[in-house]
Amino acid sequence: MPEPHIELRNVRRTIARKQGDDARSEVLSGVNLKVFRGELITIMGPSGAGKSTLLRLINRLSEADSGIILLDSSDIRNADPRDLRRRVGMVFQIPIVFEGTVRDNISFGKKLWDTNADIDALAVEAAVPPALMDADAANLSVGEKQRVCIARALANKPEVLLLDEPTSALDKASAEKVESLLLRLGSEHNLTMIWVTHDLEQSRRISKHNYVMEDGRLMEDHV
Amino acid sequence: MYSVIMLALCLAVVMLAMAAILSARYNIWKEATISGARAIIQLLILSSVIILVFNLPVYWSLLIVLAMAIIAGHTTYIRSGQLGGMFPASAASIAVISLAMVVPFFIVGIFPLEARYLVPTCSMMIGNAMNVSSLAIDRYRGELRNRRGEVEAYLALGASPGLAADHCLHQSMLSALIPSIDNMKNLGLVWIPGVMTGMLLSGSDPVEAAAIQVCIFIAIYLVGMIASNLLLLHATSSFFTKALQLKDEVF
Repeated sequence: MPEPHIELRNVRRTIARKQGDDARSEVLSGVNLKVFRGELITIMGPSGAGKSTLLRLINRLSEADSGIILLDSSDIRNADPRDLRRRVGMVFQIPIVFEGTVRDNISFGKKLWDTNADIDALAVEAAVPPALMDADAANLSVGEKQRVCIARALANKPEVLLLDEPTSALDKASAEKVESLLLRLGSEHNLTMIWVTHDLEQSRRISKHNYVMEDGRLMEDHV
Repeated sequence: MYSVIMLALCLAVVMLAMAAILSARYNIWKEATISGARAIIQLLILSSVIILVFNLPVYWSLLIVLAMAIIAGHTTYIRSGQLGGMFPASAASIAVISLAMVVPFFIVGIFPLEARYLVPTCSMMIGNAMNVSSLAIDRYRGELRNRRGEVEAYLALGASPGLAADHCLHQSMLSALIPSIDNMKNLGLVWIPGVMTGMLLSGSDPVEAAAIQVCIFIAIYLVGMIASNLLLLHATSSFFTKALQLKDEVF
């Protein structure tokens, strides 16, 4: 049996109920999860269930209160946070492009990490038209921005891609494009993917390993 | 003489009362009243102390200047939301840059090295550095809060906090410097600043007064820009945890 690529053991996370208040609410109540290399799992659940929080803990944008998160059997707290984030990419629900052109955005990780990513090839893979490469990224449609964000994340050459409702801010046509794009890229780059969605149909369509987050707990979704 | 003092003080109190009433609309009447009352009392104390200091050796003036920088640093520290380590950083950046910018005036001989020149010149530098730094740090915190998503998008790609917050820092500096730039742009057109006014009232040559004023004005701008920039660079680490996450508690 291979070791899991990502493993969460009894992970808990609380947040302050109000700014400056000592009272805290538990968002994650002892989450356990194993994801194997190259696997795609989905996590569903209502708003505020803790889905996004879970993703933020895996690339350490937030810190768990207790429990252990392992990447390749190593506690992520022992890794350099910057290096961890290069290995564990994240795509957000609302695509945020940086100031500059589409090319500036996609090549951000290449410059930062000196990776040998081929920016033009990556853009084609992410269905970003070559004509848009020198356009101001701020002027793109939401769907185009999301594709640029996906290409930007891939330019870091990550092993894991965390997807925080990557299609929920898009119209139906763009959402379908981005969904099939992510599935194709995940398979081509052998990425381990954790895909958070609130869409039950999408969840069952894209993966056989589905989980449901409710009241801070993660349960397998039995169809 | 005394009647002028009394008249000026009475007028100041009446205007402060008006300011407080009008400020109530923005819910800052308490802050405005306390600040105004403090200004009246502090300036009266200063005018008494300054008579003493002007008659003492010049190194006593440095103590006064140091005290001013510490108080200015504390004001900026409070404006920063009392960020850890910000009090010494803001006091040091304001003191060092202000002094560094004042020194050439005395080296080249624009002013003689006397307390009556050193203290007011330093106070102008320190006061402006404090204003710009307070504006900049307040805006920086706001920018980081409002652009949290963008900052975290940078962090999520492995960017350092400095790189992730660079746009926020840039915008904060611009916003904090706008009043100084506008003042400089309209110098002599819209207003005649303090040094020149004082020199004109004391009967100095207007061209000499203008030359000194413009020199001081640019120095003031430089002090504000450099001190606040240093402060924001230092403050960046205070907004992030050791694991390079944005701290929740400082927003």
